[in-house]
Amino acid sequence: MKDYWLNKLFFDIQQPALAAEYKVDRDAVLARYPMNAALREALLADDIGTIAPHVNAYLLRFYYAIRGMKDDEFIRRLNAIPQAQSDRKGVSRHG
Amino acid sequence: MASLVGVYAASHGPMIAREWESLSAPTRASVEEGFGEIGKRLSASRPDVLVIVSPDHWVNFFLNNYPAFCVGIGAEHDGPPEPFLKKRFQHPLLAGHPSLGLHILNTAIARDFDPSMSHRLTLDHGFCLPLWRMGIEQIPPIVPIVVNEVDDPMPTMRRCLAFGALLKDAIASYPENLRVAVLATGGLSHFIGEPGMGQIDEKFDRTCISLFERGDPTALATTLEHEVRHTGNGGNEVRNWVVAHATAGNKGFELIGYAPLQEIYVGCAFAEWRVAA
Repeated sequence: MKDYWLNKLFFDIQQPALAAEYKVDRDAVLARYPMNAALREALLADDIGTIAPHVNAYLLRFYYAIRGMKDDEFIRRLNAIPQAQSDRKGVSRHG
Repeated sequence: MASLVGVYAASHGPMIAREWESLSAPTRASVEEGFGEIGKRLSASRPDVLVIVSPDHWVNFFLNNYPAFCVGIGAEHDGPPEPFLKKRFQHPLLAGHPSLGLHILNTAIARDFDPSMSHRLTLDHGFCLPLWRMGIEQIPPIVPIVVNEVDDPMPTMRRCLAFGALLKDAIASYPENLRVAVLATGGLSHFIGEPGMGQIDEKFDRTCISLFERGDPTALATTLEHEVRHTGNGGNEVRNWVVAHATAGNKGFELIGYAPLQEIYVGCAFAEWRVAA
């Protein structure tokens, strides 16, 4: 199930001003996005496997690109998500 | 009356702009060849207006209000917000065509088809990356049409065919003498922000191409409705191609080029439809 505020953060952070603020004071920004507490912890730990089922995949991609995570690392973490933990149809794609 | 002078499809992918200088020579050549040919054909069709059918990648719309379809009816639209594209495609403003946009909207509503409307859209890489790579000297006024392809539930393929059919009729019934071209962007397969990212589902891509070549709209809608649920999320953008397919009259398309380009994460294809008389 989607977490509205987690998605909202990932949407808003496309704005350079918010991205800059997030870089220097993450707690202040997160205080304005009352997301599920467990997801907030997962976000702080960059636990992509926990976050992914609750956020749009494009927004997840944008967030980590803005955060500066290299694609190789992002893809490695995505592909480490156990199938049962992911609601992504990509895992059942064609061969 | 307005006339439909060409219907085209071109994939898009942010990596084309983000990493252009570092892409391998074969990938760049493939991208250049496909967009170049589409640009050449589009220019030769001498359109007065270009209708572009594309997703919105979380620029204009969010979860608090996400339309299935939106027609841009403004006099101007904002260029791409993505830093990686706006430095390459230096068009902070793009002219719209309010009169045709409104006619399309009114035609839709008269058919009990109720798209959202926007008097000013921001046109992200889905719209602008093809324009950049096609290298058109004079970009005609644009009527942007957004289809939700980024978050479920999305419009059915059947509904996309219906939208394409009304777009065809709207162009044909527009009272002024206007040459109108249509460009569908996006697809084919790609996986973005989900497991499988970076892989390309060539089987899905070949299925799509075969269906679009054959033309039969029923088979197209039925098969793709199933197939998009079993490939990457980017495959949903094939809905734009379905809209274009019906706009052209379901006569099938000529494939201009296809390559599974792993460097840009996209099954990259280019095509031109046969336009029904």
